[in-house]
Amino acid sequence: MKGRYEDENLNWIPLLILAVFLLPFVLKGVTFSYKYYLYILNMAGIYIILTVGLDLLSGFTGLMSLGHAAFLAIGAYTSAILVDQVGLPFELSLIITPVIVGLFGLVIGFPALRIKGIYLGLTTMGFGFIVKRLIIAFREWTGGSAGLHVSSASIFGYPIKNDWDNYFMIYTFAILAIIMTRRIIKSKLGRAFMAIRDSEQAAQASGINLAKYKLISFFISGMFAGFAGVLFAHTSHFISTDHFDITLSIFFIVMVLIGGIGSIYGAVLGTLFVVLMENMFIPLFEDALSQYVNLNAGDFQAFIFGLIMLIFIIFQPLGLYGMWLKMRIYWKIFPFNPRKRFT
Amino acid sequence: MKQIVSIIIMSAFIWTGCENKATSPGVTDTEILVGNIQDLSGPIKELGLLLPAGTNMYLDYINAQGGVHGRQIKMIVEDHGYNPQKAVVAAKKLVEKDQVFCLFNVVGTSPAEAIRPILEESGVPLIAPATNSSSMSDMSKQAARYIFHTDAGYDLQARVLIDYIMENNKDAVIGFAYQDDDYGANALQGCAVAEANHGITVQKESFQRGATDFMGQTMNFMKGGCTDVIIGGIVREPVTIMKTAQKIGFEPKFYGLMPTVDPRVGLLAGEVGEGFIAPYHAYHPDSDEAGPKLYQELCDKNNVPAKMRGIYHYYGFAGAHVLVEGLRRAGKNPTRERLIKGLETLKNWESGVFPPITYNRNDHAGAESLYLLQLQEGKQVGITDWRN
Repeated sequence: MKGRYEDENLNWIPLLILAVFLLPFVLKGVTFSYKYYLYILNMAGIYIILTVGLDLLSGFTGLMSLGHAAFLAIGAYTSAILVDQVGLPFELSLIITPVIVGLFGLVIGFPALRIKGIYLGLTTMGFGFIVKRLIIAFREWTGGSAGLHVSSASIFGYPIKNDWDNYFMIYTFAILAIIMTRRIIKSKLGRAFMAIRDSEQAAQASGINLAKYKLISFFISGMFAGFAGVLFAHTSHFISTDHFDITLSIFFIVMVLIGGIGSIYGAVLGTLFVVLMENMFIPLFEDALSQYVNLNAGDFQAFIFGLIMLIFIIFQPLGLYGMWLKMRIYWKIFPFNPRKRFT
Repeated sequence: MKQIVSIIIMSAFIWTGCENKATSPGVTDTEILVGNIQDLSGPIKELGLLLPAGTNMYLDYINAQGGVHGRQIKMIVEDHGYNPQKAVVAAKKLVEKDQVFCLFNVVGTSPAEAIRPILEESGVPLIAPATNSSSMSDMSKQAARYIFHTDAGYDLQARVLIDYIMENNKDAVIGFAYQDDDYGANALQGCAVAEANHGITVQKESFQRGATDFMGQTMNFMKGGCTDVIIGGIVREPVTIMKTAQKIGFEPKFYGLMPTVDPRVGLLAGEVGEGFIAPYHAYHPDSDEAGPKLYQELCDKNNVPAKMRGIYHYYGFAGAHVLVEGLRRAGKNPTRERLIKGLETLKNWESGVFPPITYNRNDHAGAESLYLLQLQEGKQVGITDWRN
């Protein structure tokens, strides 16, 4: 029988994982401001966990969600309440919280059985607004819109205090999340998701229970977002409703789109690209440019993002991962490339 | 033996020499670097340009006089778009990458709250966070030691207004429209204290941030027979409530919390805004005190356009006084710890812009008195002395 990953070259994966864990040491050696870079990478790591889950939902099942910032918020607040107010250990919250958020995913999944496309996007967006209001309404537990300070995490007695510790915790979970989603899409579940995405009628005709699989997709995607929420709360130490607004949900979609929708590695690449772009490259570029022109920082950033999105959608609809695949195939069959295929 | 002794003595000298010169990140022989985080792309981005412009005007003035202890003060401004997460990134960048000496004027309550863990971890002081919320000077909170608040809290503002109303009319029925968030919550605390002091019950009506329709709240105030209505909004809320009241023939006296001091309230409200009263925690930029005079002088000298001048531009200018005084008191070889210690020696310090400011180990609250401004023929006129 053919193995699950037989058509892929997996030799580079252990090397990559090793590189991920060596990166902080390299950064520390190279720059004195390594803590700043670690913090940005940590944020990217948390978002990666969320976007691979979002990719399962949007990229593989074809269901659009503009409510993932709300799932992240529920995860963050649930864990903050469970750990700091109920007194559960962090390890337990890591298991319970994603399940709770997954259940919220189920709830929002019900309308998805009937509505599609942009309407589903709007429904999930509405869900985001509801969650924000609920957080403010339950101010006894959530601190209302004044926000909530959250304690540090500790895993099996080992306290996770600073960005250095956070990095190893977050990336361990991020790698696990990537492996899990890869397993899912290669399984019966993943095939069912893709069948639904490609044609609901055809999927139904092949005996796939649409309702069941759509709900499962929402549940799993919610779980990933919830997991990211737990890490978010306990590594940023302060959460408020201002953190989780609609633009964040849009950013998540942008990350998946730029990376290449419907490919787990694409979601990872896209997230890294957007977070690093936003926090490192655009400011650098801006600083360089502002010596010559008088700029208003905020507007400029939105402009660049809009431009990148346009360029990607017009010229690279398959995203960064698609670009990489094309390049790989190009070199593989070099010099026998059919001319038209790669232009 | 002699050699060893001399080496020990030499190294002791070198060590003590280093000790004396040991300065914090962000300080060189010629420059002190200060970080500022503003909203340049979010809901209050118009302030994001005005506040640093006002601050820079004062810093340029100080720098032109030779700076503080021979060092020029340079300020780097970052953007947070009113998103606490971005505020944390910006603070990390300023502290870890740009290596600023201290932070100044981080705008907004939730962004300022979000960076508490960074202040705690790095020991970087935050001077004059640009928010009225008195949670900034709550000494029981995390990193409270590093935060020096200048503004009078919303709670104090609400209390001063209610006290004023009750003084002038013992039978006043007071209504209070508050924003359903941290801003409103902080004001409600002061409201509760005033209620207990005067033995009254204030009729409270909430609205959501960004609301545009206030018919329900205004009707309720009318039904409750309110003679005086306090509006805890910014610009749109007081204007809309006053106009709505006019439409339905409801004519109480109107008051607002400090964010409504914005001159646009008078401009937009027109004649219904006449008599509108709001508290303020610094000398008005048009007044004759030393600070405002300097402000007007510098504005004229730098050709600051008329539309930029006003409360917010002045707010950045005023806060910078505390920063500069702190740096002065930190001494010739400033460290972050010396800056904190220096600021904590302020006792009834007259800045010319704020009422006397006192900081010490247990009190980082800054201005703790207010006076009331009334709109008279479209101009803001002071009608009381300092109150608290």
